[in-house]
Amino acid sequence: MLSRLILVSANSLKGCGPIGAGLVQASRSLHTSPQSLAPLPPLPETGGKVRHGIFPEELFQLLYPKTGVTGPYMLGTGLIIYMLSKEIYVINHETFAAASIGAVIIYGVKKFGPSVASYADKLNEDKIAKAQEVKDIAIASLTEAIEDEKKEQWRVEGRSMLFDAKRNNVAMLLETNYRERLHMVTNEVKRRLDYQIALQNLHHRLEQEHMVNWVEKSVISSITPQQEKESIAKCITDLKALAKATQARAGV
Amino acid sequence: MTLSLFDQFMSPTLLGIPLMALALTLPWILFFKPGNRWSSSRFSALVAQFLKWFTKEIFQPMSLGGHKWALILTSLVLFLITLNMLGLLPYTFTPTTQLSMNMAFAVPLWLATVIIGMRNQPNLSLAHMLPEGTPALLIPILIVIETISLFIRPLALGVRLTANLTAGHLLIQLIATAAYVLMSIMPVVAILTSVLLFLLTLLEVAVAMIQAYVFVLLLSLYLQENV
Repeated sequence: MLSRLILVSANSLKGCGPIGAGLVQASRSLHTSPQSLAPLPPLPETGGKVRHGIFPEELFQLLYPKTGVTGPYMLGTGLIIYMLSKEIYVINHETFAAASIGAVIIYGVKKFGPSVASYADKLNEDKIAKAQEVKDIAIASLTEAIEDEKKEQWRVEGRSMLFDAKRNNVAMLLETNYRERLHMVTNEVKRRLDYQIALQNLHHRLEQEHMVNWVEKSVISSITPQQEKESIAKCITDLKALAKATQARAGV
Repeated sequence: MTLSLFDQFMSPTLLGIPLMALALTLPWILFFKPGNRWSSSRFSALVAQFLKWFTKEIFQPMSLGGHKWALILTSLVLFLITLNMLGLLPYTFTPTTQLSMNMAFAVPLWLATVIIGMRNQPNLSLAHMLPEGTPALLIPILIVIETISLFIRPLALGVRLTANLTAGHLLIQLIATAAYVLMSIMPVVAILTSVLLFLLTLLEVAVAMIQAYVFVLLLSLYLQENV
């Protein structure tokens, strides 16, 4: 925690004056967090090359110029013989125990080595694959979002046409409304005028009928009873003559 | 460098300086630091996988209070397995063959589980003394027996680990001695003895891992009863 405090203060002091650079260099030993080392160099793909499982290949390369291919082997044999003959290493029961545990280890590594290694690799790869999947899904969804956004922009371009169409619609509606109202007004006015006409006609008819009735009444009242009797006697004689004529015609 | 059979069990000293601390702490360097990397080497992946598996096995049946013991139990199992496996190499000293060390692991941890049980749920932990469904006549005897079995647990834990490892190592030494001696007298019998030695070593590898696992498993069971 103190190292972080020093880091922060060192960063802020970096700018001011001659002590700034000195502080940065002096505090470099306190940079223990990995922030200062990112990005990390990648791990090597395979381990160092070894011959016979334990001896690094570099030893053989080292001895090759002077002693050729058999150099390290002679060195090994010589060392072993030296240690045995001088009894620096004494052969005792532990040697047999060492031989047997060595046999067990070599057998185990030869038989199960590749499968264990591939299992470990699979573990690591699964971990990486999961993270990669998250990244891929994020990238895919973002690409899709970009496509959608482009489509929306294209849609926006057609906006003016939409507004024109809407404007036309509204104008048409207004026109229709106006015409309807005009029609209605015309009808109302006609109705009122028709009423007046009908009224006048009625007046006319009434006057006419009144006049006709008056004329009839005066005519009927002007017929005297003497004239009525005479007309009735005339009608009777006419009827008798007609009857006689019809009878004569029917007899023939 | 002539060795007696029991030299391997002696606490190592160099010019009078005891090296026990070194023997206990050096196996630590075998396990790589997790480091700055998210995805490291094969070995770290394998060790991490083992720890994950082990933690799941031990702590899945345990209630939440026992999960506080996760760190100590997993580190204990890793430590014991490393010590046991390293002890199979020739000329090495296995600290877990010393009864003192195993008792130093077993007694405090067992006592901790008992005290936790007594403190948090005294009735329940005392009730463990009597299994369910015992006939009324047997109750007094059974209480005594269960108490004795409770107190023998740390002893059993420590002695089990010590005895298994010591016996294994001793057997390896004895049979190796037999093979070594017979080699000059009757080579064919020596070959047979060597085959026996090979099989025994295989067994010892298995025993080393199993004993460490059993130690920690039993501790976790005692914890489960009491937490």
